[in-house]
Amino acid sequence: MSQVVTEKVGQKILKENDRIAMRLREEFARRGILCLNFISSPGAGKTLLLEKTLESFGPQERVAVLTGDIQTDNDARRLGRYGFPVRQITTEGACHLDAKMVENALTGWDLDSIDTLLVENVGNLVCPTSYDLGEAVKIVLLSVTEGDDKPLKYPGIFFKSGLCLITKVDLLPYVPFDMVVARENARRIHPDIEILEVSALTGQGMEEWRAWLSRRRAR
Amino acid sequence: MHEMGIAQEILGIVEREVEARPEARVKAVGVRVGRCSGVDTESLRFCFECLKKDTVVEAAELRIERTGADELDVSLVELEVP
Repeated sequence: MSQVVTEKVGQKILKENDRIAMRLREEFARRGILCLNFISSPGAGKTLLLEKTLESFGPQERVAVLTGDIQTDNDARRLGRYGFPVRQITTEGACHLDAKMVENALTGWDLDSIDTLLVENVGNLVCPTSYDLGEAVKIVLLSVTEGDDKPLKYPGIFFKSGLCLITKVDLLPYVPFDMVVARENARRIHPDIEILEVSALTGQGMEEWRAWLSRRRAR
Repeated sequence: MHEMGIAQEILGIVEREVEARPEARVKAVGVRVGRCSGVDTESLRFCFECLKKDTVVEAAELRIERTGADELDVSLVELEVP
């Protein structure tokens, strides 16, 4: 006479990507590398923000950049103009970077000569959420042309990000974006998320962004 | 569609759980999927169905419990033992 038995398992489903990401995270920790994963919708201003950030660094800064796109090396060429090592990851179809791509892209670089690794993800607010790259912090960019309810529509990435950069604030006079509402929405999803408002174009807020970076690098 | 990889992991976890009990039949697999985990439950269901044939979960029902944050784990297996 058969009987039904329920066995508790409680086993985390560790995707293959998570295993590689853990390896990367350990490697970064060992070498004191701060890795930041920049995520946003296409066109929210990741590349310009990174350009302006690199521009503000002195030549002694030990920073390197990985930039992901489905096609072209346009972003790597833009970012490569500031004198720091930059590599393009061309996914040729994948809508997100994954840990394996990052691991492969780092081959041949002397990791002991890098203190900060900036990773620009493929423009996408959905899929990158699920792919840990071994980063210390996920940074989500939300531009004022996108709508102040974005955090509610894409809770996953806002939940997982440590910092939200609200970008293109120079355009605020021309768009119906309500900054108070946007900030409330972000905090509704993730009460402890840090929020900074920037315009990479005009420089507004960029000093606070650089200060955030410095504090993070000092940790 | 990364839900296929996740379905395969679920199968792997269940296989390891029942390794010591070859006489048992898996009736159900309980999975917790966080709302913020980035996993689409319908895709996951579909992928699980695709994987089932000739495995220990062939006759198993996938029970998905939606939770608040970003968990992703196998919570339980329900076994029929003779």
